[in-house]
Amino acid sequence: MYLLRFTILRLIQMLPVLIGITLCVFLLLRVMPGDPATLILGRRGTAEDIARLSAQLGLDRPIWQQYLLFLWDIAKGSLGQSIAYRAPVGPLILERLPATLLLVAYSTVLTVLMTVPVAIFVAMRKDGPADLLVKALFVVLMSLPPFWLGILLILFFSIELHWFPVSGYGSNIIENLWYLFLPALVIALATSALTIRSLRSSIIAVATADYVDTARAKGLRPGTVMRRHILRNSLVSTISVLAVHTSWIIGGTVVVESVFAVPGLGYLLVSSIFTRDYPMVQGLTVTFAMLVVLISLLTDIAYALIDPRVRYD
Amino acid sequence: MFKFWKWARSASLALALGFATAAIVINEAEAETLFRLGVPEDALTLDPIASSDNPSIWAELLIYDTLIRPATNGVDLEPGLAEKWTVAPDGKEYVFTLRDAKFADGTSVTADDVIYSLKRAAGEKSDWARFFKPITNYEAVDQHTIKMTLDTPFTPLLNNLALFSGSILPKSSESDAEFFSHPIGSGPFVLKEWRKGDRIVLAKNPHYWQQGKPAVDMAEIQVISEDNSRILKLQAGELDAIINIPFNQLKQLQSAAGIKTAAADVFRVEFVQLNTKKKPFDDQKVRQALNHAVDKQGIVDSVLFGNAVPAASSIPIMRYHNTELKPYAYDPEKAKALLAEAGHAEGFSTTMLLPAGDDKLRNAGAVIQDNLQKIGVKVELQSLEGGAQWDTTKAGNYEMSLSYATSDTIDPDQLVGFTVVNPERANAYHTEWKDDRVNELYEAERKTLDGPEREAQFKEIEARVNEGAPYIFLYHQKAAYAWRDNVEGFAVLPTSNYRLEDVTMK
Repeated sequence: MYLLRFTILRLIQMLPVLIGITLCVFLLLRVMPGDPATLILGRRGTAEDIARLSAQLGLDRPIWQQYLLFLWDIAKGSLGQSIAYRAPVGPLILERLPATLLLVAYSTVLTVLMTVPVAIFVAMRKDGPADLLVKALFVVLMSLPPFWLGILLILFFSIELHWFPVSGYGSNIIENLWYLFLPALVIALATSALTIRSLRSSIIAVATADYVDTARAKGLRPGTVMRRHILRNSLVSTISVLAVHTSWIIGGTVVVESVFAVPGLGYLLVSSIFTRDYPMVQGLTVTFAMLVVLISLLTDIAYALIDPRVRYD
Repeated sequence: MFKFWKWARSASLALALGFATAAIVINEAEAETLFRLGVPEDALTLDPIASSDNPSIWAELLIYDTLIRPATNGVDLEPGLAEKWTVAPDGKEYVFTLRDAKFADGTSVTADDVIYSLKRAAGEKSDWARFFKPITNYEAVDQHTIKMTLDTPFTPLLNNLALFSGSILPKSSESDAEFFSHPIGSGPFVLKEWRKGDRIVLAKNPHYWQQGKPAVDMAEIQVISEDNSRILKLQAGELDAIINIPFNQLKQLQSAAGIKTAAADVFRVEFVQLNTKKKPFDDQKVRQALNHAVDKQGIVDSVLFGNAVPAASSIPIMRYHNTELKPYAYDPEKAKALLAEAGHAEGFSTTMLLPAGDDKLRNAGAVIQDNLQKIGVKVELQSLEGGAQWDTTKAGNYEMSLSYATSDTIDPDQLVGFTVVNPERANAYHTEWKDDRVNELYEAERKTLDGPEREAQFKEIEARVNEGAPYIFLYHQKAAYAWRDNVEGFAVLPTSNYRLEDVTMK
């Protein structure tokens, strides 16, 4: 019950954060040189054409009015009209949201799948050659630009082996998972470098705790000790690392989305900035902000579920 | 521990099996002939009067027809929906005769549809109203004949009617607010599905007026923004053709098995805008000196791998091009002499704006900087994002700015108006250069019917621009594209678009 109350409280706390974010984005966009009507018509239009389009887009109003209109739109559950697409922003974002969400979720799952076994494996061989090798390997993977790592994976898995398509998204969930495997792997490899280090250290620290000795002394099998006593207690810090990283990924899928031609939000954001599509950039920022807040909420809930001692009162 | 590995093994096996099944399902679906084109950017809208980006324009040209259209040679106009047309000798009356064409839903294209579409294109909501406003009256003589009258002659009109913004829509679309999410045109293809950011799926229009076209049942325009991915996808056979290939990868792609490449001459020109309101750029001799100091062929060879030709003016090589003009010869000595005559024997310091993110222009900028250093002109490069660069040059807060221009039409009128006429649309593209004779010729050219007289006017304009040198004229960059060898008939046209109705697959 208290979790539900906590969730609702957190959602209410989101409001001022979101308003702050909208204000920042709104002002930053207006400070940027370049105006949308000129960018649309510039090379081909006359000054009158540009003025007419500006008026049509509502950009001739005072800035504070534009901002209030934007807030009013949000209150009505709409994100306004895209300047570049000449269509409502909301549906355009919703159309692309699944690809980005799936990519983020997929890469998180792959990260966990890689992190847990590898971390256990190296933690049990602390400072041995395998530990050092894994450490070195993931430091290299993390340092590779995602763009380049992506191309390498495409060359190997798609061009040489023909296991996966070079890029794209697919049209049903099976195809989605198949198409998104390499992009998700690129993100997961970089993320795992962090989570493996974090989980490894926790495991090593926890493994020396008295209650672990007790568990062993009780005659529990090593697998059970690892699962019930060591892993569970080690996960909390790794979850925070993963959560922070996932929030970062949401805004940072741009490169991976563009290398693998995933029709997600990241690329939409970049192209919208170039065309000065104010409503679209604002809408996307609000969407990203909500996702990040939601993830931190989910993280807090995950803490509580994993560690019964954690309470948010 | 062991258990985990066992689990991991079975999980990966299941995953692999799942993917294999998916692959089989996908392969079975491909029974019709499908042509897949990889492009860097998605369209934004399919409303021809609200489009200004190339991807939207090129998609519209596949879905809608225009009355007349540019021929593939980029020089002539050829019949589109109108099978013939006449222009009165005084240039004030145009009569078009429609062919027996149908929209993709099977209804006939009539004079009413044409009048509706062109009035819409000249209307309040149109970004391109200026192109069609000179038509002051429309008359549907009969179902297939339209008479348009003008108050004053306006020769670029024919070319404007051949533009995407003059696309003919069914009049019935007027009441359909959602029309552009499921548009109907009389062009070779009809929109089947538009997955935004991913692909535009086009199906053959069964009612298309050109017999036997399109040859393919379906065409997909897939959006792959990353150049390397697009190339790899072509090599893997997941695409049949791609556009926008970086020149440094063209050679390697040329030698790849099963792939053919080409670099098309398109209506485009690269140049450095010179702010003629600022010293020392107000002096024609200085501007000419800068033109002599830049090694255009050197940039073409080193930066563009030969995929461009040096330019003699700010007008692309197109109809009425003045072939007698030669690009300024690379001659640092002459440049120095001209600078000395202008009283700048010691040279001077200046800054040049560059568009951020365009690596070709950035590299060209570095070469220009180096070239000018040799005649004592020290150039500081300043990278600006596209929108910011436009605002800065428009406000006149610049000295030199590296940029380019492209033409939508096959008539030089558009780029003459934009790059050398002052004030017109952009004060000679923000150079503030003003030549009364050029302005006069521009006025005259717009009222002169196509023919030798108009040709002479354009040639004189181009010669004056070359001499006046409001820009450092650089080069005309080509457009590189590639296709798999089972594809025939795919070509990038001088107007940069492509006619997928001409594509056949073996």
